[in-house]
Amino acid sequence: MIKNTRASKPQIGDDTNLLTARIIPCLDVDNGRVVKGTNFVNLRDMGDPVELAMQYECQGADEIVFLDISASSENRPTALANVTRIAQQLSIPFTVGGGLKSLADVQAFLDAGADKVALNTTAVTHPEIIEQVAKSYGSQCVVVAVDVNKPSQDSSPQLYIHGGRTLVNKDFNQWVNEIQQRGAGEILLTCMHRDGTGLGFDNELTGEIAKNAKIQVIASGGAKNEQHFLEAFRHGADACLAAGMFHSGEYRIDQVKQFLADNGVKVRI
Amino acid sequence: MIEPSKAYTVTIIDTKAGNIFSLKACLQRLGCEVMVAKTPAQVVGDRLIIPGQGHFGSVMQQLTTEGWLNFLNQWKSDDKYLLGICVGMQVFFEQSEESPGVLGLGWLDGKVKKLNSPKQPMVGWSSCQFSTASFESGMPYFVNSYAIKESQQCIATTSYGETFCAAVKLNNLVGFQFHPEKSSHYGSKLVAQALNLS
Repeated sequence: MIKNTRASKPQIGDDTNLLTARIIPCLDVDNGRVVKGTNFVNLRDMGDPVELAMQYECQGADEIVFLDISASSENRPTALANVTRIAQQLSIPFTVGGGLKSLADVQAFLDAGADKVALNTTAVTHPEIIEQVAKSYGSQCVVVAVDVNKPSQDSSPQLYIHGGRTLVNKDFNQWVNEIQQRGAGEILLTCMHRDGTGLGFDNELTGEIAKNAKIQVIASGGAKNEQHFLEAFRHGADACLAAGMFHSGEYRIDQVKQFLADNGVKVRI
Repeated sequence: MIEPSKAYTVTIIDTKAGNIFSLKACLQRLGCEVMVAKTPAQVVGDRLIIPGQGHFGSVMQQLTTEGWLNFLNQWKSDDKYLLGICVGMQVFFEQSEESPGVLGLGWLDGKVKKLNSPKQPMVGWSSCQFSTASFESGMPYFVNSYAIKESQQCIATTSYGETFCAAVKLNNLVGFQFHPEKSSHYGSKLVAQALNLS
């Protein structure tokens, strides 16, 4: 065996954590168009999903999330076709969700080009699907999306399913633990009370969950400017997801990343 | 701007463990013809990839069942281009804690071990400094819970909780612990460098 002589050891330094904070734009897609709403209602058309996905990759997005919010069986072929169109153009990780009900659905979206699937309602009603997907495709393929609502700062967190329409009688913290025990790769935590408000992420709630979780936690809901991202990462979020502020063209991802880097957050530039 | 290759054919071994959509798209964008081979008889060309899907045990099982072992040993003796991605790199080694009792290809010394990371799996982009000019340093995308901590053939490391081997090279055998096909333009460059596509 020929020994590969190295001229010099790779210079990494003392830092035992080089993993960067991730910025993830989210495409909520209804009827083939990206839409945006406030607190999960009143949807506006924000553009073509393929164009936006490609634009975001160019701007330095670390991943793309695509959520089929129509999530009905008639719209499934369109959603799958869009997933393929996007996957063909992307060379960054691509997560797809929205009404996935079974292992067959998961297979369909992975075959269409998704790298990971996001499960929400089905994970709550049939939590064994988390293990099934993790076993068949690996934990890294399963993101469990959690929609949580806190009507006021003092209220306890309420769990919702069905796109934020149905309150679930399940303890939020226990659910977060169960998700990890069942083998999910990541948690996507959307704070409904902040979603679309532009008031920033709920860092108290998200930070607490992120710091205690053994898997990565993606913060979602409420981002409107670069400062919101900085605060979320400082509070412990592993990744941040946003939609409207990027779709509107008001902010570019590279701009947000530069701001984060200037303020000491490790990001990929 | 990545120079398109002279239409090389690259064969991806079908380890029946998941989605190779991204990898195929990456190679096609590099101007390659792509073959997916279930068995050695289906291999076309001089460039082969073991993709990054599945676990150590499932990949070795597929390679064994479909008659790849002798073929791969010969391929390596002939020093043809072979790129292993993620678990595809890990099977170059002797064993893995992920699948106790399963033997790897054993070409490189060492055992794949669980990563002592703050969170598992490790998910995201992390800096890699290559110690050889054959590859450009940069920040590729990782998603793994297991890794090779040390290897004489290590040419790049990264750190998440602990430092581990991000890439290995032994002549024309190259392994990437990260997913170059999900690492944007930088990743495409690394694939082109690994398979000598210029």
